[in-house]
Amino acid sequence: MKIRERLMSYFKNRSFSFQRFFFESLKTLMAVLIAYLIAIIIIVFVSDNPSESIYWFIVGPFSNLMEFGELIKKAVPLMFAGIAACVIVKANQFNLFTEGAFYVGGLVAALIAIYIKLPAFLAVIAALVGGGLVATIFGYIPAKLKSSLNVNEFVSSIMLNFVALWIGVFLISNVVIDDASGDTATGIIPEISKLKVFITGTNITYGLLIVIGIIILVKIFFSKTLPGYEIKMTGDNQHFAKFSGINVERRVVMAQVLGIFIAGVGGAAEILSNYHRFNWKTLPGFGFDGFMVTIIAKNKPLFVPLAALFIGYLRAGADLMAFNSDVAQEVVAIIQGVIILLIASERFFSSSFFKRLLDNYKERRNHKRMDVMKNE
Amino acid sequence: MAEALIMMKDIRKVYYPDIVAINSATFSLFEGEIHAIAGENGAGKTTLMKILFGLEKADKGEVLFRGEKVFFHSPSDAMRKGIGMVHQHFMLLENMTVADNVVLGMEPKRKGLYDYKRACEITKDLGERFDMAIDPEIKISQLAVGLKQKVEIIKVLAREARIIILDEPTAVLTPQETKELFHQLKLLKKDNFTIIIITHKLREIKEICDRVTIMKSGNIEGTYDVDKISVEEISKKMVGYDFVVTEDKETLKPGEVILEVKNLSYERDGKKRLDDISFKIREKQILGVVGVEGNGQLELSGVLNGVIRNYEGDISLDGLSLKNKSILEIRDRGISYIPEDRMVDGANLIGNIYESAIVLKSRDKDYRKGKFLKKKKLSEFTDVLIDSYGVKCNNKYDQVKSLSGGNIQKIVSAREIVEARRILIANQPTRGIDIGAVMTLHEKLKELQSNNLGILLISSDLKEIYDLTESVIVLYEGKIVARIKNIKDVSEEQLGRYMLGIEVQEDMEASL
Repeated sequence: MKIRERLMSYFKNRSFSFQRFFFESLKTLMAVLIAYLIAIIIIVFVSDNPSESIYWFIVGPFSNLMEFGELIKKAVPLMFAGIAACVIVKANQFNLFTEGAFYVGGLVAALIAIYIKLPAFLAVIAALVGGGLVATIFGYIPAKLKSSLNVNEFVSSIMLNFVALWIGVFLISNVVIDDASGDTATGIIPEISKLKVFITGTNITYGLLIVIGIIILVKIFFSKTLPGYEIKMTGDNQHFAKFSGINVERRVVMAQVLGIFIAGVGGAAEILSNYHRFNWKTLPGFGFDGFMVTIIAKNKPLFVPLAALFIGYLRAGADLMAFNSDVAQEVVAIIQGVIILLIASERFFSSSFFKRLLDNYKERRNHKRMDVMKNE
Repeated sequence: MAEALIMMKDIRKVYYPDIVAINSATFSLFEGEIHAIAGENGAGKTTLMKILFGLEKADKGEVLFRGEKVFFHSPSDAMRKGIGMVHQHFMLLENMTVADNVVLGMEPKRKGLYDYKRACEITKDLGERFDMAIDPEIKISQLAVGLKQKVEIIKVLAREARIIILDEPTAVLTPQETKELFHQLKLLKKDNFTIIIITHKLREIKEICDRVTIMKSGNIEGTYDVDKISVEEISKKMVGYDFVVTEDKETLKPGEVILEVKNLSYERDGKKRLDDISFKIREKQILGVVGVEGNGQLELSGVLNGVIRNYEGDISLDGLSLKNKSILEIRDRGISYIPEDRMVDGANLIGNIYESAIVLKSRDKDYRKGKFLKKKKLSEFTDVLIDSYGVKCNNKYDQVKSLSGGNIQKIVSAREIVEARRILIANQPTRGIDIGAVMTLHEKLKELQSNNLGILLISSDLKEIYDLTESVIVLYEGKIVARIKNIKDVSEEQLGRYMLGIEVQEDMEASL
């Protein structure tokens, strides 16, 4: 009872309105429902056996523990990328090197794991942090160019992605190539450095715990610390931040560096969780997905896991549908696009639209009550 | 009584989720009148007009146009009925020419293409008809505020509006520009246009309006014929208490020099924005800076607060130079700054009040533990600010965007005044805020003054200058054209002549 009262007063102080929360959730829910409706219509058109396809798409990821684990496994790198993008977008920056950071982080982590012999626990930490740090060195370039010379970080970071990619491809095909693999790939990553599975019967590794830890840290960073607060102010209104004496350049760089570091760790965690060798010859795409995740999460750190899980669910269902039915994966990509579009277009369902629905309902209810009273 | 042109009945508007902007308002408008809507900030004036203009939807009530019920779902509905609105914050495309802006959305066509020549003609014709000569081919970004407003009015006229709503039109104007505007409004009235002015300047209501509707916290206090009500009565109905129009200022003897500006010059785009400016501010002194907008005030405050760093000359605070110091360093030395543009530079509109209020305090060592903010202490600090300045809000977690302009200004000013240790630079601190709030702010400024601080007050409100300051410098085209030791000795007309550069003070005293 006491807890409930305290909760209530907490929400009241934060001007947390259940009504608003309800409408905001309803908005997102409606967008998802409409998107799924469109998805089902598309599937009905392209599939010879629509009911089975739809079953795999929607229910498939929950059909057994292994499939559910697959969903989580797909969501973990999205969480990493999402929280990385979240930090960067908080400062109103769009440093897309999160993409390259995943690649660099993964490669460096694999190299550290293979070539530096360390005791068990340290080996993992060294690989993760090393991957993050090397990625950060790259990511610092567009950030610094932005703050010092006002070079658009959006363009420079996209270009830098390719620089990082081709350096990596050069390395794995010439320098650190392991001929025994029969592939352009590094040697085998020793078991000791890998992130272990922590729920047996699934492929969920300790990477999940790491990313949840990072998300909580990011949340604390933004709500409780001075640099976090200043980054948010800089992102919300740079003029205001500047006039108030906040070192805008420093905060802009800081946000990007932090975001890139997280993305680098994400790349490392992905490689150490799910790969035997590092063999990426294209950009993994997670970095770009991260921005999508954070848009769906309305750039709130605590919503990032939910958004990532949702995309993970979408993809896991898509994989199952592609594997078990005749619907092509490309169709799923279309469906995914529609869903993002609907959620991202915030004004599609304005809050006042729902408010009016509720008001109408209340008014009708009151009328009814009055009628009842009259009759009595 | 003739039939009302517009009748708004029992209007009620609640902003999502639960801020009551208008409780219940009934408002009537007759053809051919100039009608003032007066009230404090947050009284609901602008909201009521936005409802009339179709920008907002009322939750309850109806609008009658010539006795006929109408629904305005958007401004274009209202425009079709001949209603136009000039907003307080201008809505012009800065990179386009005057003519482009005037015909925006209704471009004249020739062979299916935009006929720019015709657009210029339309603009010119309208301008000449109402004495608003303006070059149609000039870019908006090159215009002064007064002219931008004229473009807005021409824009409305081009859309064949017969009812023009002006939202605080004189807030940004100099006395001369205001006079010009009133002349044009009178011309419009002669042509049987109907004009609504949202304002809280009582003198203006008296000067040009026929009737006045007074609003107070979401309710209509009443509508009166202007010649049958006195200024005191209006202000009493607006604020709810009597206030004295003029007040004796106590003379404080200035102490030692705090801030010294020596031969300050600054050039941008090949034009001298500041030209050889020197002055001193002493303890317990409020130095007024007056001038027509755009004559170097913005640059002067920019130099003093560290936004502009590539200037010539020197500024020293307590004997130490401020040259090449960053904004943060200058603030740390004890200079506080109330920016002119509170919406952009002063507050974070998408954040909440708390975030905008603590931006300076958050760096204070007492309010944080290492990198961690002491949230409880900062929250208490915010509550005190809100209380002592009477900011109208539900609580400190309201979005700044949801507040009225005056309340935002209160937060910004409060934050800066609390933080000021040596000098406060106040750039238009009371622009657009209501009498009650102006009084509070003036009190606080005087309090600072008696606490040994120096204040640089840049203001285009001459009444404020007369009320608060003793010594004044007048800027014209970046130069000081007059140094006035005691403002009481100089009439408003004389001041106006200096401001317009018609006259330069002859034996300018070397220093103040």
